[in-house]
Amino acid sequence: MRQKRSEIYSVELSGTEDIVRTDQGDDKEKYRGLKNNCLERKKKNHEEEFQKELQLDDHKLSNTELEKKYGTNIITGLSSTRAAELLARDGPNSLTPPKQTPEIVKFLKQMVGGFSILLWVGAFLCWIAYGIQYSSDKSASLNNVYLGSVLVLVVILTGVFAYYQEAKSTNIMSSFNKMIPQQALVIRDSEKKTIPAEQLVVGDIVEVKGGDQIPADIRVLSSQGCRVDNSSLTGESEPQPRSSEFTHENPLETKNICFYSTTCLEGTVTGMVINTGDRTIIGHIASLASGVGNEKTPIAIEIEHFVHIVAGVAVSIGILFFIIAVSLKYRVLDSVIFLIGIIVANVPEGLLGTVTVTLSLTAKRMAKKNCLVKNLEAVETLGSTSIICSDKTGTLTQNRMTVAHLWFDNQIFVADTSEDHSNQVFDQSSSTWASLSKIITLCNRAEFKPGQENVPIMKKAVIGDASETALLKFSEVILGDVMEIRKRNRKVVEIPFNSTNKFQLSIHETDDPHDKRFLLVMKGAPERILQKCSTIMINGEEHPLDKSTAKTFHTAYMELGGLGERVLGFCHLYLPADEFPETYSFDIDTMNFPTSNLCFVGLLSMIDPPRSTVPDAVTKCRSAGIKVIMVTGDHPITAKAIAKSVGIISANSETVEDIAHRLNIPVEQVNQRDAKAAVVTGMELKDMSSEQLDEILANYQEIVFARTSPQQKLIIVEGCQRQDAVVAVTGDGVNDSPALKKADIGIAMGIAGSDAAKNAADMVLLDDNFASIVTGVEEGRLIFDNLKKTIAYTLTKNIAELCPFLIYIIAGLPLPIGTITILFIDLGTDIIPSIALAYEKAESDIMNRKPRHKKKDRLVNKQLAVYSYLHIGLMQALGAFLVYFTVYAQEGFLPHTLINLRVEWENDNVNDLEDHYGQEWTRYQREYLEWTGYTAFFVGILVQQIADLIIRKTRRNSIFQQGLFRNKVIWVGIASQIIIGLILSYGLGSVTALSFTMLRAQYWFVAVPHAILIWVYDEVRKLFIRLYPGSWWDKNMYY
Amino acid sequence: MVIQKEKKSCGQVVEEWKEFVWNPRTHQFMGRTGTSWAFILLFYLIFYGFLTAMFSLTMWVMLQTVSDHTPKYQDRLATPGLMIRPKTENLDVIVNVSDTESWDQHVQKLNKFLEPYNDSIQAQKNDVCRPGRYYEQPDNGVLNYPKRACQFNRTQLGDCSGIGDPTHYGYSTGQPCVFIKMNRVINFYAGANQSMNVTCAGKRDEDAENLGHFVMFPANGNIDLMYFPYYGKKFHVNYTQPLVAVKFLNVTPNVEVNVECRINAANIATDDERDKFAGRVAFKLRINKT
Repeated sequence: MRQKRSEIYSVELSGTEDIVRTDQGDDKEKYRGLKNNCLERKKKNHEEEFQKELQLDDHKLSNTELEKKYGTNIITGLSSTRAAELLARDGPNSLTPPKQTPEIVKFLKQMVGGFSILLWVGAFLCWIAYGIQYSSDKSASLNNVYLGSVLVLVVILTGVFAYYQEAKSTNIMSSFNKMIPQQALVIRDSEKKTIPAEQLVVGDIVEVKGGDQIPADIRVLSSQGCRVDNSSLTGESEPQPRSSEFTHENPLETKNICFYSTTCLEGTVTGMVINTGDRTIIGHIASLASGVGNEKTPIAIEIEHFVHIVAGVAVSIGILFFIIAVSLKYRVLDSVIFLIGIIVANVPEGLLGTVTVTLSLTAKRMAKKNCLVKNLEAVETLGSTSIICSDKTGTLTQNRMTVAHLWFDNQIFVADTSEDHSNQVFDQSSSTWASLSKIITLCNRAEFKPGQENVPIMKKAVIGDASETALLKFSEVILGDVMEIRKRNRKVVEIPFNSTNKFQLSIHETDDPHDKRFLLVMKGAPERILQKCSTIMINGEEHPLDKSTAKTFHTAYMELGGLGERVLGFCHLYLPADEFPETYSFDIDTMNFPTSNLCFVGLLSMIDPPRSTVPDAVTKCRSAGIKVIMVTGDHPITAKAIAKSVGIISANSETVEDIAHRLNIPVEQVNQRDAKAAVVTGMELKDMSSEQLDEILANYQEIVFARTSPQQKLIIVEGCQRQDAVVAVTGDGVNDSPALKKADIGIAMGIAGSDAAKNAADMVLLDDNFASIVTGVEEGRLIFDNLKKTIAYTLTKNIAELCPFLIYIIAGLPLPIGTITILFIDLGTDIIPSIALAYEKAESDIMNRKPRHKKKDRLVNKQLAVYSYLHIGLMQALGAFLVYFTVYAQEGFLPHTLINLRVEWENDNVNDLEDHYGQEWTRYQREYLEWTGYTAFFVGILVQQIADLIIRKTRRNSIFQQGLFRNKVIWVGIASQIIIGLILSYGLGSVTALSFTMLRAQYWFVAVPHAILIWVYDEVRKLFIRLYPGSWWDKNMYY
Repeated sequence: MVIQKEKKSCGQVVEEWKEFVWNPRTHQFMGRTGTSWAFILLFYLIFYGFLTAMFSLTMWVMLQTVSDHTPKYQDRLATPGLMIRPKTENLDVIVNVSDTESWDQHVQKLNKFLEPYNDSIQAQKNDVCRPGRYYEQPDNGVLNYPKRACQFNRTQLGDCSGIGDPTHYGYSTGQPCVFIKMNRVINFYAGANQSMNVTCAGKRDEDAENLGHFVMFPANGNIDLMYFPYYGKKFHVNYTQPLVAVKFLNVTPNVEVNVECRINAANIATDDERDKFAGRVAFKLRINKT
């Protein structure tokens, strides 16, 4: 959102006026976006304040009036005591940081979010149940108290974990927020002092020099060649002069006010502080931005949806079976315990933690690829993005002027504009080029900063403006040591560029020792240069400049200008030695040398070229179904040219204007539908209703918004969101921050971005490169797919955990699996495997898919739930029951003897319960067997979860297509599962409270046939999905 | 992203539900057409049929590993438990001497329990074995089935046999009989070839005082080795479990007495911390007299 313009370059027709008009235009327009953004309560208040602020009249006051108003003295400054008083009154001169949610609130949110509330209810029910038991029987067992405490422990642990993860990811960002404390040079008590900028108060007299940040809003009292960069405020990085004159009614436009947080580029300025802290212009914008609420991320919505589904299932099954249990004449207290068991079995306690870990793993991966994610959930948002509103400068382009084309010998040559310039292939044999290169080299004031011998040319720092830098680097690459050439051709005199002349001129001695002539070189606006020429050099020879050559010149000029490039003309003249002997003294004031009838040598055009990775990235976005919209403050022609060169406007699509031009008919007659692309300027946008904007956004595939003010960006973002799109917005200026916040995912530039932009954004691109967004999209989509797999994996075993309770209630079997054991699966064996799924590679090219529709493509859809619960889950339950029955049968309780055994089995006073063989069991012996049953059931689930883990690697492809061993982490997961299982059974088998026992080794293999069945069944499912896409099977079985 | 929370009126919600249940336009019932429902039901019929078959098959295979006569593993039953008769809700024998109803149910239970021990039945079904040694009936390669059991005659219980007993096992006089039995465990050689007996005592000192005197039948509470080993319900069809009867002669009335009986046998530990019934049994005795 910045632009590099210089007044001389006439291609930029009326750019400045446009801007001025936009900015001048009523201020309501400027902040229209903010007004529209449905923040009714804050809006009015701010609007009024802002209006008031703009009525600031300090710029109109004279110095004495100012002194009076602020009770200060321009020479002596404030007194320290007065300053301290003011500081106490107004507070420190710093922006109030955006309101942070207090840590404790964040923590408590984690404690009650998601499933926690269910578990809390479970825990309290446990305690209440114990209380009731205790009141009737003092010796009631403490089991329920333990269970309740364990549930609370689980909630707290998962909460602490999620909080920790969250905190960790915010910490990455906090490094950004740490700014080096700024110092300010202030005059107080007639003394110059350096104090922290925070302590400035209104009325302070400050001095700022080139390179410093303006420490507050200041009214300029005196300045020396001061130019400021207002980009952090306006988005335009063009240096603007500052002096003490009052030049404009509008305080934002007048030259005698410098704004807080902008940068003084060169010169020095002395000014009086007129506003500090939040009362500065930037403070107002920042507070407006903080008013734009952060919307819920798509993944947060998905997770909420999923929690609702699972909690709904848990609660309704729980209540259903509570009613069944009561009507089966169970005691209400027992029924409550069943209810708790059902809830615990149904809630995937570890899942939300897993999701957090998965997201943070992806966030780390993205950080490596230069996408720093501030908000974990934003990781996925990028994947569901359907529209990217991208900046041009710096994001799509390299953010530096580069020579793109040359015109000499009646021919246009293309220069290499790639990042390193290495491949300059145009014909350099012509002697015209020799002359042109000499002019380029000599008529240039830019210089490399010293001490950069080992830095590649393109990366060297340069003193000089953007065009001169481009020319310097261009000639350095082609010709070698420019400084040496300049030394050999000693500069005698020069006229630097100024806006009235619109040219730059210098006179040099030549490096040819036999040639005593002086060489006059000149560059400038092409038509201006042409006026001064009478001859033109073609193939090294001077030809008179006639009409036809002038025409070819114009054709070339228009062509280059049409590419959106900044064109410069070059000419030279060898001054005759007799008229200008070596001793001749040139005087630039009297211009005692010719400046006309020169020899025209060539044209050279420059552009801020696209980054070489961008066209590819844009193509990828397009094939990924993501619409890339360019929003720039630059001129429409340049914007369109860049859009074309990076593919935002594809090669064969035309705008309405293009069609009109081609068919030679007025724009109004063109059928709007024929045009695929549109270039909309800020002026047009201003007059548009939101319906018209919607129409444009919906009808055109390729859109470029040019000449937009940063505020209009917000309108565009809102328009996109009305299309139900998930919008990503890139931005760097302070003024972008409302749009960044408004966007589903705001992307700030890490290098060029202001702190306010970074604060408002969800993500920071460390390399400012558009291509990094595409990798982000890829990661985001992958994580969405993988989260689906993780959830499917996790949900499956819930049925296997739930069925035991249902069977227990209905058929009266001894309880197959205990609540604590379930927790060991959910929070023990299953954790690492479900995280391992996050490392799964994409099944197919995820960048060839359309972005997901946020209302239709849910994270957890019906198919996923049905397939996990009713297919695999049920199989798993059967397999686990097989292990359970095996253990009981081999100990003497055959399956049929177990039915309706529950009451006797659990009766502490029945110590001679007969088994199938006539043996009699004491209660403890049965209890131990029951624990063995728990362990067996646990192992059964564990073994089948391994199969479940493997099948979840893919949703469509065969496991063998995906590769069984490509994702090594899966195997780590499986190993962890087995090891934890072994430890629980054999290591902690003797700890009664955990109710694990040492299971016979062979029971580990009982469920294997069912595990294999799961695998085979899923392979069959995937096979049919692949064979019959779109079929009934595909619709019902693909999740 | 602005989520337009469309506020739906109650009527709309009902309407939507109605349409979900039956959509007359598309002829969809609960979001599916008839054919779709048929398809899905057929699918689940086949699928669950298959699962049932698969589960049954694996269960059948599993049951093949289990013998019908002896359990595969007995690791949990190393120490047989002890139990009392009459079997009461909370292992307590409470007798209100004057209130016939309070002990009549015990008596009924005992009558029923002791019926198979009647001498006539024993003589008819079981062998007279040599006391003092295990009555082993090895298979020797051929299934030796059914196995014979040794007689335990009701008369061996003496005063507690309840035969022609007007006091109803002493319950009507406040001198109740409690029968101790040891849990059956297949192939368990109780006592490890040495004689064993059951002893009873008050759990704590005051219990011992309150307990008073008691007599045991058979004498000393002996359990003979000939009743072991047990070969299981299928093989040992008429197996008669040996009993020890304890007749409490002068329990302090109106006091709850905690009695603990344990078996003294070489290979039965009676000090298991966790299993309170391993080789022992504790019960409460209370005689209420007015």
